[in-house]
Amino acid sequence: MTNERLMKKGTVFLVGALLAIMLPGTLCAKSAKFKGKATHLYKDVFDQNVYYEGVNQLDFGRWGRKLFDREIPAANINIFDEVPDSAFFTNRHARKRLSAEELEKGYSETEGPDLSAPMTVTKGKQEGLHPGFFIRDARGDAYCLKFDAEGYLELATAAEVIASRFYYAIGYNVPQYTMFRFRPEDIVAGENAYTYDDTGFRKKMTPDLLDQYLSFLPITEEGEYLASASKIVPGRNAGYFSFYSRRKDDPEDTINHRDRREIRAISVFSMWLNNYDVREDNTLDMEVVENGRPVIKHYLIDFNSALGAAHGGPKPPMFGHEYMIDYGETAKAFLSLGLWEKPWQKKWRVVDERPYESPAVGYFSNEGFDPESHKVQLPYETFRVLTKADGFWAAKIMKSFTDEDVRAMVKAGRYSNAEDEDYIAKTLIERRDMIARYWFSQTTPLDQFELSGNVLRFRDLALHYGWGDPDAIDYTAEVFAGSKRRKPDEILTSQEPVFSLNPRYISPNRTVELRIRVSRRGDEDPSPYIKIILDEGGVRQIRHED
Amino acid sequence: MINKHKKLLTLVLALLFFAGSSYAQDIYAPVYPHEPLKAKNLKDPVSALLEIPFRLVRWPIDQSLVYIGKRHIDKKAFHIYDKIKGYGVTPHIAFTDSAILPLVGLELDLMTMTRKKVEHPDVVANASVRYAMHNLFIVDSKVGVNRIAGTGLYTFGNFNFDHRSREPFYGIGPRTSLGDSSSIRMETVYLAWNAGYEFSPSLNVLGTFAFKENQIKHRAHDGKGDMTEIFAGQDIPGIHGGEELNWKMELVRDTRNTKDEASKGSYQKLSVKLTEGVDSTKARFLTYQLDAAKYFSLKSPRRVLAIRAFGEHNDEINHGTIPFYDMARLGGMGSSQRTSVAHRAFVYNRFYGESAILFSLEYRYAIWEYRDFRLNASVFWDEGQVFNEFNKFKFSDFRESYGLGFYLSYAKHTLLNFTVAHGDEGTRVYVKNRVPF
Repeated sequence: MTNERLMKKGTVFLVGALLAIMLPGTLCAKSAKFKGKATHLYKDVFDQNVYYEGVNQLDFGRWGRKLFDREIPAANINIFDEVPDSAFFTNRHARKRLSAEELEKGYSETEGPDLSAPMTVTKGKQEGLHPGFFIRDARGDAYCLKFDAEGYLELATAAEVIASRFYYAIGYNVPQYTMFRFRPEDIVAGENAYTYDDTGFRKKMTPDLLDQYLSFLPITEEGEYLASASKIVPGRNAGYFSFYSRRKDDPEDTINHRDRREIRAISVFSMWLNNYDVREDNTLDMEVVENGRPVIKHYLIDFNSALGAAHGGPKPPMFGHEYMIDYGETAKAFLSLGLWEKPWQKKWRVVDERPYESPAVGYFSNEGFDPESHKVQLPYETFRVLTKADGFWAAKIMKSFTDEDVRAMVKAGRYSNAEDEDYIAKTLIERRDMIARYWFSQTTPLDQFELSGNVLRFRDLALHYGWGDPDAIDYTAEVFAGSKRRKPDEILTSQEPVFSLNPRYISPNRTVELRIRVSRRGDEDPSPYIKIILDEGGVRQIRHED
Repeated sequence: MINKHKKLLTLVLALLFFAGSSYAQDIYAPVYPHEPLKAKNLKDPVSALLEIPFRLVRWPIDQSLVYIGKRHIDKKAFHIYDKIKGYGVTPHIAFTDSAILPLVGLELDLMTMTRKKVEHPDVVANASVRYAMHNLFIVDSKVGVNRIAGTGLYTFGNFNFDHRSREPFYGIGPRTSLGDSSSIRMETVYLAWNAGYEFSPSLNVLGTFAFKENQIKHRAHDGKGDMTEIFAGQDIPGIHGGEELNWKMELVRDTRNTKDEASKGSYQKLSVKLTEGVDSTKARFLTYQLDAAKYFSLKSPRRVLAIRAFGEHNDEINHGTIPFYDMARLGGMGSSQRTSVAHRAFVYNRFYGESAILFSLEYRYAIWEYRDFRLNASVFWDEGQVFNEFNKFKFSDFRESYGLGFYLSYAKHTLLNFTVAHGDEGTRVYVKNRVPF
């Protein structure tokens, strides 16, 4: 055999080998385009409470922003200062009011597990005395059933279902959650079912073991088990989504998540819902096929620590007031020699450490609630860079839910005691107003700009919702008509939410910029500005100062 | 050229306005001020560069944590621990008294191991082994019966072998020098029979009869001198060890709500012990010891003032001697009753004397809580001295320790105690898993 032939054979072999390696990859690319990323509570805690808390101190940009009072504006907002629909967020209630039925129903594919035949447990999810099950129903649909802790029937299950209704109506993707009741005979262990119990070892889910787990569960007066049933989301699990950086394997994920307004605002909405356990491990990226190509859809999941619930029972009192490891609060307590009583400690002491009357409600109160200092479990940088404009956007969405809307969503919790339902709704309504009022006070809460001829009308949301004296308000607009826009051409003032502009500003092929501020009597400083760009056709751009 | 640019700009603006007009009705339309949407850098280049070495460390930690979580390694570890404990074997991890060294060990509950615990719940048969590299090796055993005839009466026998390879010694009395640093290798064999009565969970009386053999080896090592050379010419009683018999009575009252994180209650331990040398050992003395602490909750269980008083006096009888290893000792964190009592700014076993007196004042307050985890900070002051005879007691011999401590606990059990203490001999740092009192 000559060298040439050997070379040829070698080349053929190499190409063949390469093809053998690459071809399956290419064939699989369609179904496994996105890498499956994994996280866990431990990683979340280490990253956020240890790693980033340290490494962020080496971020000169961060120090610079603190020093010069600069913000990072959200990068995914459109010309009207809104968040367009994406794989993360869909403007729902804010775009088109959902009916009471739609709000109560939330995201829904089915009515819940089909009980026309017993459900089959495929996998267990045991944590202490709080079992959970993955099941398959008569229709073949897969669900995850989660339960309440002994003595706290409806606490976590209702919280999860209610919170899912809110997140969905706001605009986030959530799985279908239903309050679900079943009898012992409605559930059987599947042939290949298994579980990881408290031992951490895999065990076969035998009928006896299933009975044993069921015996730990609280039951209703009717002798039924009560669960929150979340329908398993269709598609391929691609892990979680980061609250910080974008997925580099997703060409549609072009903006770093830290700079996405809807991700920053998760902190505001979670504050409303008292969902302390919002973290990356409680998110889900699913690869689905849309229009014939694989795309990632980003979900928020696991809300059974919302409202008054937490793992194993009512929310501990420090939740919402401190991060899991809160260096600032700890340092304050240390330096004050324990003489400074933390707000949650005072609240806890005043009620003699028994703040809840109903086990179904848990610990959910607006006493001592402060929208400015409220915290979720981990100190995500994304939540810290939330700007006033982002907060206003979230507050505006929250206020788009009327009291009746809130009540409709709370109804989804199916509380057996009407007083519990009423308490939760009242607390959410009150908290919504506290949060919205705070963010409206931080910004220029003007909305619904409309140019008619040379008259610009708008709505003052603070006044609209009854927060402020209409006779004690001055609106000021700096008008920039020139191309450089360094110095205002005119300053207009009005005591009504309307400005009459000089008609010469509204002329063909010309734009005019207005920077509007609100001065409420009693305020020391005027509010941040809101920038409006107008032309003859109407409002062209809106931007709240960050 | 300029005209060309102007035209282009007008065209772009016109297009933008056109796009704007077309979306005028939809305020949620994906029309952005700056298109196309592009990810901005999360950090400036210098900050990003500074982070690189930390990212290299973070990656394996993250991967390990995810692995531990997803594979339930934590649960498996706890389960295996519980399982082993269920078989009567309890692994033990702590820190030594004399240095920040890990101390590992095993405790065997022989009744559980032989599956006789259920049958005979009041019979006690324990053995334990503890080891710290180059420091100590201890074997302990206890055999006895609790609640005899359904009463509070109990009895047990003890065997203990205690090997300490670097037991420090700085001389006897209040005015010794840290520079006279020596250490001995000491092996103690202890055999005892105990009988007591538990009147209630908070009140207990115990009588002990014991035999103790102390073997001492003198040598210089690790920068510490040979005791026989450094203290040559001084009469150090018991310098060559010896054998002795002890008779001891102890009364203990303990009303603390928890042992590690007491916010109320108190404890008092009062004991009297007679020691008599065997064979040629001249030891013959009485030991009186009082150890008492009281915990005051300052308007909140999160603020606790803890006060402790400790006193010990050894009194020779019939011209006997008090071996140095039986004397009262001060220094260190004092987490073990057998050894030096806490005087935190001084090294373990720093002061030996026939008598010792110590007062500790400690203010403990919670600075962090998360579910059942709690971090207490403490500010403390220890004031103590050793002396030989009462007529030699001088107020000026008192030595001070003061400092700060952080006690991390879970469900009121101390997991970690990090303490920094300062005194006239410098600053000492402790890492323990117990509180001093």
